[in-house]
Amino acid sequence: MKWIGLAWKNIWRNRIRSIVVIGAIAIGIWAILFISGFTRGMVQNYINDSISTQISHIQIHHPKFGDDKELKFNIAEAHDLRQELLSMDGVKSATTRTISNGMISSSKGARGVNIIGIDPAEESQVTAMKDKMIEGDYLNVDKKNPIIISRRIAERLGLKIRSKVILTFQNVAQDITAGAFRVVGIYDTGNAQYDELQIYVKKEDLQRLIGVDEPIVHEMALLVNDFNAVDQVRDQIKSAHPNLLIENYKELSPDLELFNTQIKLNIVILTVIIMLALIFGIINTMLMAVLERKKELGMLMAIGMNKWKVFRLIVMETLFLSFVGGPLGLLIAFLSLQGFAQTGIDLSNWSGGLSQFGLNPIIYPDLHTGSFVFVMFSVMVTAFLASIYPARKAVKLKPVDALRAL
Amino acid sequence: MSDIVIQASELHKTYDETAVPVHALRGVNLQIKQGEFTAIVGPSGSGKSTLLNIIGGLDRPSSGNIQVGGTDISTLNDNQLIDFRKDNIGFVFQSYNLIPVLTAKENVEFVMMLQGSSTEERDRRTKELMDAVGLGDRMHNRPSELSGGQQQRVAVARALAPKPTFILADEPTANLDSTSTANLLDIMARLNKEENITFVFSTHDQRVIDRARRVVVLEDGLIASDTAS
Repeated sequence: MKWIGLAWKNIWRNRIRSIVVIGAIAIGIWAILFISGFTRGMVQNYINDSISTQISHIQIHHPKFGDDKELKFNIAEAHDLRQELLSMDGVKSATTRTISNGMISSSKGARGVNIIGIDPAEESQVTAMKDKMIEGDYLNVDKKNPIIISRRIAERLGLKIRSKVILTFQNVAQDITAGAFRVVGIYDTGNAQYDELQIYVKKEDLQRLIGVDEPIVHEMALLVNDFNAVDQVRDQIKSAHPNLLIENYKELSPDLELFNTQIKLNIVILTVIIMLALIFGIINTMLMAVLERKKELGMLMAIGMNKWKVFRLIVMETLFLSFVGGPLGLLIAFLSLQGFAQTGIDLSNWSGGLSQFGLNPIIYPDLHTGSFVFVMFSVMVTAFLASIYPARKAVKLKPVDALRAL
Repeated sequence: MSDIVIQASELHKTYDETAVPVHALRGVNLQIKQGEFTAIVGPSGSGKSTLLNIIGGLDRPSSGNIQVGGTDISTLNDNQLIDFRKDNIGFVFQSYNLIPVLTAKENVEFVMMLQGSSTEERDRRTKELMDAVGLGDRMHNRPSELSGGQQQRVAVARALAPKPTFILADEPTANLDSTSTANLLDIMARLNKEENITFVFSTHDQRVIDRARRVVVLEDGLIASDTAS
């Protein structure tokens, strides 16, 4: 018989009470991990979606293009630069884009848009726009002036596949020019803000209407091989091309980082709240256990069990409750998160609000080992803190009084 | 000198938590020698429990001196007293007070574990003591599986396990029927006689008083009579 054995047996004296507190610990842990996994999944979805459909890992612009999207603020010798970047270690793919602000009009109305001229073959190596097509084809069709638009623009302008639209924008001579395009495909990224603004045409069609002889590139988007090496690759390009503006996905979309930080903070706050609730639950249980055993604890001290050993016994009993409840909670969290990581959690009923913020309505929770370790550690600390008061109460018992207790 | 186990001199105990102080002991002088089988008797309020608590190192006298095995225990601090009790005093309580989640064997070896005895030593002594109290075949039963008399015999074995200077038994037969009482008294008398173990009882039970070889009667916090047979 060892002390651990005695502490273990003691927690099962009142099975129901112990099971209730173990259940509370398990549910608390599950709640933290599930919410954490869910929100992490949501953030990760958001970041991945943003990277794959919109911003990619790194973008290169003329330094002034961001302030004033004029045609003249383009990247010089973009073709050579693309070849150079593709030969760099760590760069997976790169695409060049010609961009112009303009207006799309149909018989039903008109809207301001970003007209993005792309090379469909290059683009599909960098962005997953091709996978976001819900109707029609991607731009690699042999039709004259093809255009792909979002589902939202199609609805607002009453457009269908094969509908004709007019794009109006400024040409290189700063005159207003227009061209007729035919809708060949309709996409939906799930991000309403993005979809409201972006339309895609072939780069050469746009360049022809702009009136340039040489290809003109305003934006270059890159994917790197290793997500964790984004900053390293960015710095490398920066040092080789100090005259260009080179930004990673966090700089391009600061909301991603803010969102990420906010979610992490919320998880810590939630953990603290749940742990506080658990502390009171555990204190209550252990205090009852101590007060019920007043006479026995008095007897133990009478026959020679010193205060430190009594203290240690109560602390051990409390820790055991969390040793049982903790792994149980971790297991339930693991199973439920893994289950939903396969199937996803469909929030379509609430997706109207979510997609306004660019969130995919199907959330795939993220299993993060660090969260599991953090929560288990928090529970251990919580159980230890919760054990101090009942354990102090136990050692303060006077054997002569405790033995008289009924 | 060496065979004096307990030496109480001019013990006074006053409880002054209440408005009117209660004088539980008013100058008790008592000497108990090795191998005595002593019953301390007296009506409720006579100071019997107070004297037993002081002898057992569970309480301190307001004044006077109490020596157990030559050590003045009234000068020990709480932790020293706990250690002293562990090695020198075997307790038998009225309501057995065994640990319910442990088996009879584990209850008996508990104090030896506190003393840091080896597993082999604990196993050997536990078996010896359980045989001595006639429960060699009930080592692995929990208290709830034993009768009151059997539980009290386990308590006696537990009290003997650390090889204490003496055994202090507080109304040990109060909850037992006459057969169990006789049985328990037989065992304690035999241990007293054969192994020269010192027993000090507090009791109301005439059957215990009849078997005691010395009877100390307390009244109003003083020894009214002290007779040896």
